[in-house]
Amino acid sequence: MNPVIQLNCVSKRFGKVQALDDVTLQIQPGTVCAVLGANGAGKSTAIRLLLGFESPDRGGIEVLGMNPHTHALEIRSRVGYVSDAPPLYEWMTVQEIGWFAAGFYPTGYQAEYDKLTKRFDLDPSQKIKGLSKGTRAKVALSLAMAHRPPLLIMDEPTSGLDPLVRREFLESMIDVAAEGRSVLLSSHQVGEVERVADDVIVLMNGKVVAHERLEDLKQSVTEVALSLPTADVAPPAIPGNRVAHVAYGHEHVWLVRDLDAGRLADHCRSQELPQAIVRKPSLEEILQTLLRQNRNQHAAVMATPAALMAAKDRSINK
Amino acid sequence: MICQIDTNNGIPIYEQICRQVKFAIANGSLLVGEHVPSVRDMATRAAVNVNTVARAYRDLQAEGVLVSIRGTGLAISADALEKCRRSRLDMIGERLRYILREAMQNGVTSDEIRSLVQSEWDAMQMESSP
Repeated sequence: MNPVIQLNCVSKRFGKVQALDDVTLQIQPGTVCAVLGANGAGKSTAIRLLLGFESPDRGGIEVLGMNPHTHALEIRSRVGYVSDAPPLYEWMTVQEIGWFAAGFYPTGYQAEYDKLTKRFDLDPSQKIKGLSKGTRAKVALSLAMAHRPPLLIMDEPTSGLDPLVRREFLESMIDVAAEGRSVLLSSHQVGEVERVADDVIVLMNGKVVAHERLEDLKQSVTEVALSLPTADVAPPAIPGNRVAHVAYGHEHVWLVRDLDAGRLADHCRSQELPQAIVRKPSLEEILQTLLRQNRNQHAAVMATPAALMAAKDRSINK
Repeated sequence: MICQIDTNNGIPIYEQICRQVKFAIANGSLLVGEHVPSVRDMATRAAVNVNTVARAYRDLQAEGVLVSIRGTGLAISADALEKCRRSRLDMIGERLRYILREAMQNGVTSDEIRSLVQSEWDAMQMESSP
């Protein structure tokens, strides 16, 4: 099957900021793919490019087999899109906005919209103006799903929403994926991502640093914590594929792929070091360590001595 | 069948589903012959990925806890009760190992652990008896 989304060496720069830097990725149909990363990592830029709101400086993009630059309207009419602050016509009622939107889509939209708003317990006669943030979000989700899109794109859809609404959003995403349709989700709610995602993409400073099955990522990554006698003792080499290393004074934390735990234990024993504490981190912890290391490296690269000291202080105080 | 998933307790989600189904069978809230919710229903109820539930159900089928009833879905097998009762201790043991490792890494002795287990157990029994 053809991928629903395909980016090929895509770069985009805004002034001095390299929002996306040579990004290549594919999203397969029928999967929930989550995009994670710090604020400003390039997540929203990527979504804006997919929907044709911006054009890339370099590289090729395909959404449902179409180029967003030349087929923006077709893509937007087939894809469902929910942002964190969905713009809606304030003076319409819940029912009217569905009727209005139905004019842009094939028949069946209105019936599906009514079904969704009923499921979300929305009052059809209420004006958009008077709705709470959570209820507005449900209207936006209903509008985005009523044409039963093969691809649902969600940019921070649940930020600022209460737990019950967030749960309803999760259930909707699960429903979409259960029908073999695809979801692209950008979110900071890592716990939610952990529940619903098949694949995860981690973006940092516009680059893809990880793109794989969530299960594989969690399975292969181990956290190793080692407390050395003093800050002067050099940390040992860790047997495995080092993903990240953060030091807090004399305490060290590594994220390691495919750790050889036996060899690590032997090594600590032979060097008369304390035994390392080894455990499986949650996605949230994996992400935090990756982001923290990246921030420190970033600070080091931009290095004036003062900036370097500040970065070091930060990592020690944290 | 209510499934409570916790993404921060270090147990993979598919395994949490397997464990909860087995515990539910062992304590009688799921009965032999009863159907488990469909993959999609379970996924929506627990708010987890459909493939995760499918994997959990596959594992449970492989262990002989669930059997496929043609055309209607998956049901609790005839010898599931026996199996789940037996695996109860294994499942608790796994969790216990995790805690014991933490105790050992922090220099807690086995006597200390033993008396801790006893006092926690007693306290819980006090709580549950009126």
